[in-house]
Amino acid sequence: MRILKDKKNRKLRIFSFIVLSVLAVVFLAPYFWMLSNSFKSTKEILLHPTNMLPIEFTLSGYEKVLTESPFFTWLGNSLFITVIDTVVVLFTSSIVGFVLSKYRFRLKKILFYVILITMMMPTAAMMIPNFLLISGLGWYDNIISLIIPMFVSAFGIFLCKQFIDDLPSELFECAMLDNASDFIIYWKIVLPGIRPALGSLTIFTFLTVWNDYQTPLIYLNSTKNMTLPLAMSFFSTQHLNDLSATMAAASLIMIPASIVFIIFQKQFIKGIAMTGMK
Amino acid sequence: MKNKKFIWAVMLPSMLHMCIFIIAPIIIGLVISFFHYNPLSSDNYFVGLDNFTALLEDDEFLIALKNTFVFVFVTVFLNIVTALLIAQCISWFKSNKVRSLFRMIFFLPCIASQAATAVVFSRSIFPTTTGFLNVILNAVGLPSVNWLGDPKVVMISLIIYSIWMDVGYNIILFSAGIDGIPTYVYEAADLDGANEWVKFRKITWPLLGRSFQFVIVQTLISHFQMFTQFAVLILKDGPKNSGLVLSRYIYKTAFEYKDMGYASAISLVLFVIIMILSLIEQKRSQVDWEY
Repeated sequence: MRILKDKKNRKLRIFSFIVLSVLAVVFLAPYFWMLSNSFKSTKEILLHPTNMLPIEFTLSGYEKVLTESPFFTWLGNSLFITVIDTVVVLFTSSIVGFVLSKYRFRLKKILFYVILITMMMPTAAMMIPNFLLISGLGWYDNIISLIIPMFVSAFGIFLCKQFIDDLPSELFECAMLDNASDFIIYWKIVLPGIRPALGSLTIFTFLTVWNDYQTPLIYLNSTKNMTLPLAMSFFSTQHLNDLSATMAAASLIMIPASIVFIIFQKQFIKGIAMTGMK
Repeated sequence: MKNKKFIWAVMLPSMLHMCIFIIAPIIIGLVISFFHYNPLSSDNYFVGLDNFTALLEDDEFLIALKNTFVFVFVTVFLNIVTALLIAQCISWFKSNKVRSLFRMIFFLPCIASQAATAVVFSRSIFPTTTGFLNVILNAVGLPSVNWLGDPKVVMISLIIYSIWMDVGYNIILFSAGIDGIPTYVYEAADLDGANEWVKFRKITWPLLGRSFQFVIVQTLISHFQMFTQFAVLILKDGPKNSGLVLSRYIYKTAFEYKDMGYASAISLVLFVIIMILSLIEQKRSQVDWEY
């Protein structure tokens, strides 16, 4: 019985290993083809489309991206915006979550429901009023428009509140006996207590802001202000005939992010499974 | 605890921020949908429900609405089936290394910038002569397909891309769901001599139920709002508007035709669809679930 079962399980595992491997190759193929094309010259891509690997390995595509476009300005914009937004969102989410979880005050219930409702607001349907607001504030074509509006995240508050709810109340009672100030309690007890939530919130916020295409498309106009995703589509329409450079630009955007992901994949995957958000 | 100063020092700025950047835009959007509104013109006037009645006679809107529903339902269905299949296959491995290797591979496209992957697909995967897909098809003796030029195929190409780029999320969520089912349940089934299919039907499926519904609604909501691939992967919404969806139509009407009143009316339609889905999810999440 036992041997029979192991045999069956082995067959099952071999079968699913084959299925998964084939699918994995399919999923990785676009990465492979992008990299391969980025090291070919455009002429070679057009002349020998069926060649899997470059005949003549060249870095001219990369050279073009780095010298003929303000790539490092775009990278700088993206980094600047993403880092500030992520740090501020971590702070506001945890401190508002703390107040909503552990304090008693009037309006608390209503405020919490408002936050829950704003969490459901669809961004795609808010393009126009957001644009009007940003231009009304005089922030059009200024990267401040990608920074300040992101400072408070309803999802982040909700996530942190749920984790703070689970912190044992003895922790807080002890601190209050010591006459610790509210901010010290937040800093010394709340923040270390919800580290897993802060980890996934970091990943979630970072990815959302870093990869956002739609918001910069609506708020920004000049080339020097662009973030990487917007710059990517701009670059590809500017270089319609230069496949090699376009693939080099895509590789420059995708590969570093992929490497960061592969290094921290355990945390990423745990974080995604925990928050269940996209 | 109730230190009033601390409470309001925290709540006041954050609520103010939400009022300005979330609640005010909702109201602005609602109001504008009853106006003829062009930001460049000074002649903007109230039109009542005209923007909404115009929707019913607007062929482009009806195409966009139909395309959106076709895209969302086909993509989400295939996405869920693929994710479930892959998650189930992954769960059969005992080794954590193998599991995380596969999860990592399938999740890789999810963390990439959609603008970049959409450019890669439009310039290197789908083109007729140099595109990877046709190179492979020709290599096994099949004819080329005009992935982005044939109005009947454009939506299929968009669906292929969208599954590639998004299915990883659901694989992770389903994997976590399956791993969360206690192993003794399966061991008991083994003792009864249940095969894999029976175990899936009688254990995994029902116990995955709650997270399953959550995943479906979340995936529907995110797919109704997808924008990047429709703006970057295809050119001008594809031949004969075959790839035109609501989010793109809103953008086009508002920022290319500058008809923001009408575009706000379209937004409201999308808004209502998504709110209905969100409310279903809210209702559901109040039901408790426990193994």
